[in-house]
Amino acid sequence: MMTTNPLDTHSSQPIGYIVGGSLKDSFRVRLTISPQEVQEGSFVVIESGGWLFYGLVTDLQLGSTDPRFADEQTEERLPAGVAQLLHGQTLYTTLEVLPALMLERGPDPASPDYPEWAQAHPEPNPHPLPVKTVPVHHAPVYLAEAQHVAEVFGEPGQEGNFILGYTREQRLPVCIDLAKFVQRSSGIFGATGTGKSFLTRVILAGLIHYNKASVLVFDMHNEYGFNDTSSDTHESVIGLKTKFASRVSVVGLGRGSSIRGQQPDFHLEISERDIRPEDIEMLTRELDLKETTPTTLDALTHTFGSNWYHEFKNMEVGTVIENEDGKKTPAPGSVAFWANSVGVNVMAAEGLHNKLRRLFNCDYIVETPAADSIKQVIETLTAGRHVFLSFGDYESDLDYLLVTNLLTRRIRAEWEKRTNSFRTHGEQEPRPLVIVLEEAHKLLNREMASQTAFSTIAREMRKYYVTLLVIDQRPSQIYDEVMSQLGTRISGWLGDDADISAVLSGLAGRDSLRGMLARLQPKEEVLLLGWGVPMPLPIRSRRYDARFWEELLKNQRNNSQEDILKALGF
Amino acid sequence: MTVLEIGRLLRSNTTGCVVGCRVTDLDVPVFGGMVRIPLQGDQQIYGLIHDIRIDDDGLVRQLVTAAEITDEVILDNRLNRNVPAEVGVLFIGYEHGGVISHLVPPRPPLTLDRIYSCTPEESCRFTSAGRFGYFRHILRAADLPVPELLAAHLQQAGADQNHCGDPGWLSAATRELIILLRDDYPVLMAVLGSISDMQISA
Repeated sequence: MMTTNPLDTHSSQPIGYIVGGSLKDSFRVRLTISPQEVQEGSFVVIESGGWLFYGLVTDLQLGSTDPRFADEQTEERLPAGVAQLLHGQTLYTTLEVLPALMLERGPDPASPDYPEWAQAHPEPNPHPLPVKTVPVHHAPVYLAEAQHVAEVFGEPGQEGNFILGYTREQRLPVCIDLAKFVQRSSGIFGATGTGKSFLTRVILAGLIHYNKASVLVFDMHNEYGFNDTSSDTHESVIGLKTKFASRVSVVGLGRGSSIRGQQPDFHLEISERDIRPEDIEMLTRELDLKETTPTTLDALTHTFGSNWYHEFKNMEVGTVIENEDGKKTPAPGSVAFWANSVGVNVMAAEGLHNKLRRLFNCDYIVETPAADSIKQVIETLTAGRHVFLSFGDYESDLDYLLVTNLLTRRIRAEWEKRTNSFRTHGEQEPRPLVIVLEEAHKLLNREMASQTAFSTIAREMRKYYVTLLVIDQRPSQIYDEVMSQLGTRISGWLGDDADISAVLSGLAGRDSLRGMLARLQPKEEVLLLGWGVPMPLPIRSRRYDARFWEELLKNQRNNSQEDILKALGF
Repeated sequence: MTVLEIGRLLRSNTTGCVVGCRVTDLDVPVFGGMVRIPLQGDQQIYGLIHDIRIDDDGLVRQLVTAAEITDEVILDNRLNRNVPAEVGVLFIGYEHGGVISHLVPPRPPLTLDRIYSCTPEESCRFTSAGRFGYFRHILRAADLPVPELLAAHLQQAGADQNHCGDPGWLSAATRELIILLRDDYPVLMAVLGSISDMQISA
């Protein structure tokens, strides 16, 4: 039997060799091929002894042994052959390679040292480790091949490995580990028009197909559930409901709502009793509420309990009656009457009532919903299905902030309860839940983060099987504490320095990655970052088209056939 | 193989020697040409001609002032002159027991030792051995016209290597010179300028 030499990892020629560097900065590589054959962001592999180092090209620099060789156009003075030889030795390109991982391959199997090494390392598939040392001088550097990408990012086709895109030069498939992806909150970022929505569709399709976590999508612009039309190409975009009909429930906000002319699976109505004072306080900026609001709300709940919203809504403003002395006093049932009775400032109470009028007019907040649709959403999610909450015509920030926060608070409580039951009484383990949040900065900005359930989810709910997938074009607006908790970050092109800094916050080598992020192509290129991916890598993101669905559902069809045969007893 | 004798050794040291020869034999030694000096036993020294000098003698001094000099007188002066033409040789290596070394020879040749011009085969054998280590002897000779000497040597050795079937030798030699001189811009450009002017015959 032939023994495969693990050191023979390359079919191609080296692109250069190590000439210096450090762990703190980057490795420097003298390029021995044309600089046009290597790009910023290229995934490279360095062989040094029994180790493989994996890194990312973060810069290419032109250099010369003497500046005069670069200054003078010697090709005009010397014959072409001599000039070429001169340039080859005096003018060069240096790559900066950000070291990321290393993998022990051991000595050559043919060497006498190999048996001893193999005995000490019995594991069949060693995993790359964070880089802890440096390769030797003149260690050869290669462009990564399919096997290297698979070693680091996982083998395509294995369960849980989902192809998110392809390396930019060699078009090698790059996977994310969906099991890892749902363990911590994640983020998809990019300026407008960089393909966030398409990438989100791709990831959601992967998560739904993977079927190890439920997904709740707050679909503010009604683009993920039913078929949509691309705003750029004006071509039809397949909705996830179309492909995963039975696994996805589209929920419309408000009674009788329709989404793009189609009927949702059920409607979501919010009971007035579900609205708590903190839901109102969270809307302080949106409704321009005053500092007196918490006091007024506190008095309302103290007076009316959980029915405070209904009672307050039905109070009248400005109605007066004449008393026996002919003086005008607030009429019973008016805001002022109630305020006087509980010692609250009348102006403050009437002002709050006036500002809550936008809420009072929301059709989806009703005294008695036809059904407990929030419970229905939770049951759908716990049953292993996925919910896409479409906001229909309610596309204002007020609707989005109120509904998402209220629903998430209930879900959070439910998952906490289920997790505690699981841990305490050994009941069924909760199914992981991913809450997909568009325009996340509206709910996770510095001001709001402390008031909403989302920052708690980002920080702590991993233990309770709930994580976030935030989608945003202004990551700098998201509270630092939340950003730091995002395990996987997938970012398209960003133009703003603050946004770039926010996406790279807390990551090693962020100075090197900064330029890469700014120089991504405006479309279909993203940078993978963070805990959820083994190393940063710019990729060409997978296209959301017919081929994508064909590839994704191919396995499903095969499985279905297998299941059918199994069910038939074959 | 044609053995072409240049002359006999006049004086020497460990880095070079001066050879005396008849003026009429000066069509054999050329600037930049490779020579060899067999020693006793199986040793021989290799060198590069870096200088050819023809000094005057008393008769020439008288003749140059004459109004008319006949061809017979000129021929007689050249055939029968007492002062030989001097050929300066820079040692670039030696051979011992069939093994070529690009080091300075262990001892200089002795007076009146015979000096021969290298044949293309001998030239190829020496210049192909090792990795151009003999270049350092040329580059170190600060008082010699190094760029011209290198260009002349590469032109002749390149032609010899072409003859021996290694047309890539000249590129490899030029690359090696660039590597050795890349930190010395003026010298490298002078060398490359000289190389650019040379013609290599196939």
